[in-house]
Amino acid sequence: MPERLITDIGGLPADAIPREEVPQLFWEKHMIAMFNVLWSKGVFNLDEFRRAVEATPVEAYKKSRFYDRRTDGMTDLLVEKGIIDRGELAQRTEAILRKGTRDDAN
Amino acid sequence: MTHDHDHDHDHDHDHDHHHDHGHGHSHPHPTREDDDVELTYGEAKFIALRAMLIEKGVITGDEVRRRLEINDAATPHQGARMVARAWVDPEYKKRMLVDGKKAAIELGIQVTEAEVMAIENTPEVHNLVVCTLCSCYPRSLLGEPPAWYVSKAYRSRAVREPRTVLKEFGLAFPDEVEVRVHDSNADLRYVILPLRPAGTEGMSEDELAALVSRDCLVGAALPGPVPAA
Repeated sequence: MPERLITDIGGLPADAIPREEVPQLFWEKHMIAMFNVLWSKGVFNLDEFRRAVEATPVEAYKKSRFYDRRTDGMTDLLVEKGIIDRGELAQRTEAILRKGTRDDAN
Repeated sequence: MTHDHDHDHDHDHDHDHHHDHGHGHSHPHPTREDDDVELTYGEAKFIALRAMLIEKGVITGDEVRRRLEINDAATPHQGARMVARAWVDPEYKKRMLVDGKKAAIELGIQVTEAEVMAIENTPEVHNLVVCTLCSCYPRSLLGEPPAWYVSKAYRSRAVREPRTVLKEFGLAFPDEVEVRVHDSNADLRYVILPLRPAGTEGMSEDELAALVSRDCLVGAALPGPVPAA
């Protein structure tokens, strides 16, 4: 038997399904739109994206949120393809957090 | 299994999983004075990523905004329009069951999915949609998926104990009704054509569409309630 992928959770025991309605945040919606643009321009395809998410370490996957998995999987692919430098991204992310505003938004 | 399901739906300020450093600093300057959504690591990472991609010429801000507009037009009302049309027009219904994507395009819906397959509920069979591997969803017809749909708990349980899950959603079916679960993927996404409720014979297509909720379209609810005549 091949090892089960971390994403392959269909049929596993689990607790109650969260039922409350959660509004989508603007950045989440914006991020999905950017993901769609990158995908439709052929920067990556959905199979590559799935492979990137499947490569998430198990514990990290268990704790991960839907929208963060999207950002992280996309980032990993962009790094892999040499489009984005991970160190620079980390620095710029920190700079935005330090400033505490969304000024870089454009 | 840990209690990981709450991480899929809460919007508190979980940090990015690759970088578990607490940022102890405060957030003194919201972008707008009344902006009460705290800037999280995940959002900051997205803002940085987008800025870098724009600087490198990979994407433009306009492209993303345009796509945002297209995505905004995708709401459960689009799927509901298809259902209402199928209820009043048997020929449309046939076309919808053959090719859900074409049937959506026929109603002027911009479909971004590779393939959409409509599955019909009958008195004998109730259908439920899940995506166990990720959270594939017919976004063009329904908009953004609800938190329960993307939760790990739903992805895990829907295929093992669909009747229990449906009961928790308020739908109890007698044993004679078969429950089928459809596992979506990135290339093929399912949408449910619910049964038309009794007592809706005189209703217009618009009125019928108003009976069809988001959750009906993935089999987690039934249409209605039907207004008293």
